[in-house]
Amino acid sequence: MKNYLKLVHFEVNRFFKMYLIVVGLVIVSQLIGAVVESKEYLKNIKRTLLREQYSFSEYLQEGYQAEPFSQFLNSGWVILSVFMCVVILMLYVFFIWYREWFAKNTFIYRLLTLPTSRLTIYFAKLTAIMLLVFGFIALQIILLPIEHQLVYWIIPADYRIDILLTEAFNFVSLGGLYPSTFIEFILLYGIGLMFVAVLFTAILFERSYRLKGIFFAIVYSVLSCVVFISPVVLHFVSEGYFYPLEILSLLLVTGAIVLGCAIWLATYLLKYKITV
Amino acid sequence: MIEVKNVKKKYGRKQILKGISFTANKGEITCLIGINGVGKTTIMKAIMALTPINSGEILIDGGKIRKESFEKITFIPDTITMPQQMKISEAFQFMADFYKSWNPQRAQELLQFFKLDENDRIANLSKGNTAKVNMLLGLALDVDYLLMDEPFSGIDIFSREQIAEVFTSHLIEDRGVIITTHEINDIEHLIDKVVLIDEGAVLREFNVEEVRENEGKSVVDVMREVYRG
Repeated sequence: MKNYLKLVHFEVNRFFKMYLIVVGLVIVSQLIGAVVESKEYLKNIKRTLLREQYSFSEYLQEGYQAEPFSQFLNSGWVILSVFMCVVILMLYVFFIWYREWFAKNTFIYRLLTLPTSRLTIYFAKLTAIMLLVFGFIALQIILLPIEHQLVYWIIPADYRIDILLTEAFNFVSLGGLYPSTFIEFILLYGIGLMFVAVLFTAILFERSYRLKGIFFAIVYSVLSCVVFISPVVLHFVSEGYFYPLEILSLLLVTGAIVLGCAIWLATYLLKYKITV
Repeated sequence: MIEVKNVKKKYGRKQILKGISFTANKGEITCLIGINGVGKTTIMKAIMALTPINSGEILIDGGKIRKESFEKITFIPDTITMPQQMKISEAFQFMADFYKSWNPQRAQELLQFFKLDENDRIANLSKGNTAKVNMLLGLALDVDYLLMDEPFSGIDIFSREQIAEVFTSHLIEDRGVIITTHEINDIEHLIDKVVLIDEGAVLREFNVEEVRENEGKSVVDVMREVYRG
């Protein structure tokens, strides 16, 4: 357990500089975005007033006001920065393993000969990825109220329709990252965890069998997906024979099976098949 | 004792190890000799469970390798096993964090012996100094067995002498060492046992002292006989 925590700390530390840079980029791009989008919104109003030769009261009567904060959330400033985080973490899921083999060092020799279970390394890397994900999500939670305030500070109240901050969390651009119930939380991040675990095991297949391993990795990943979504397929095939809650329960079961298999296979590969 | 029993291994269709067997005792320096590509490194990786074998058995003090074994046996490969961006002191800290057998006094002693600065980053070290750090990380563990893969390759003459000196010091005493090399000259006078390997098989396993006494031959003489004869 102690070694697990040390390894998690070590893994997070190794990516931390890069992580801070990304966090910085997100903060800067979203804050600049909030200002730019708000100014743009005001400019648009002026343009409309000029073009239509409206007075401000006419403008209001015609119902031209929009939701500037929604517009901001749907703008590239937010979407691209969220997308960037997703892409970087996706890449890091691979890099967190491959970095041990490549470049000049061969740190994998050291990792695999630590007097600790090799599965600990797997769990430490898995935990590190999840912590980085939660870090980004927490960052967005902090940023949203600030941006909300910023937008409404630049645009006078009469020119806009307000949305509540809580509504902002349900925005598509945020990819439904903020579950509103505990079940949703388990489901969303459980699926995320399972997804990363399956990718990790697929990587270990490649690292164990190399070229042949790529084939095994693909077959294994596809099989995992099929097993996981089988309840959904069942739902369609049976034309709604099951209640949604039953399908959900089945998904939890198949998800647990897939996660369990990923860990079991990883144990086997790390113990008997891994090649440095 | 490390026992390697009839170990076979294939890489794809190529048979790298064709039933290798030998033993290495505690308190002795066993040298695996063979030209490049005969499977010396693969044997070491197999002992450390870093590569799977197709058949055969490897025992360390009578048992298969387990996670606890890594407190008793360590591998010094021919590349550095720590991330490049680490300082030497950070690498020490890492070792101390994970190994009960890490001996910090000995690490400091070795640091002085090799004239290294612990505030240097591994990435900035010369090739010779990187090899020394790598060796240091293995030697400062209080383990029973040390596996060293080509400790002299690509290193300048003075660093070689320094590393060779380590073998005669108390740092090696009482431990079992397996070392691979294709340049025997530096260490001929140090080794107790030789295992000559070619094309994945053991050609001859002999005790240096016995051969010298009984047959009046040096290691190089035996090698000449085996490889040319």
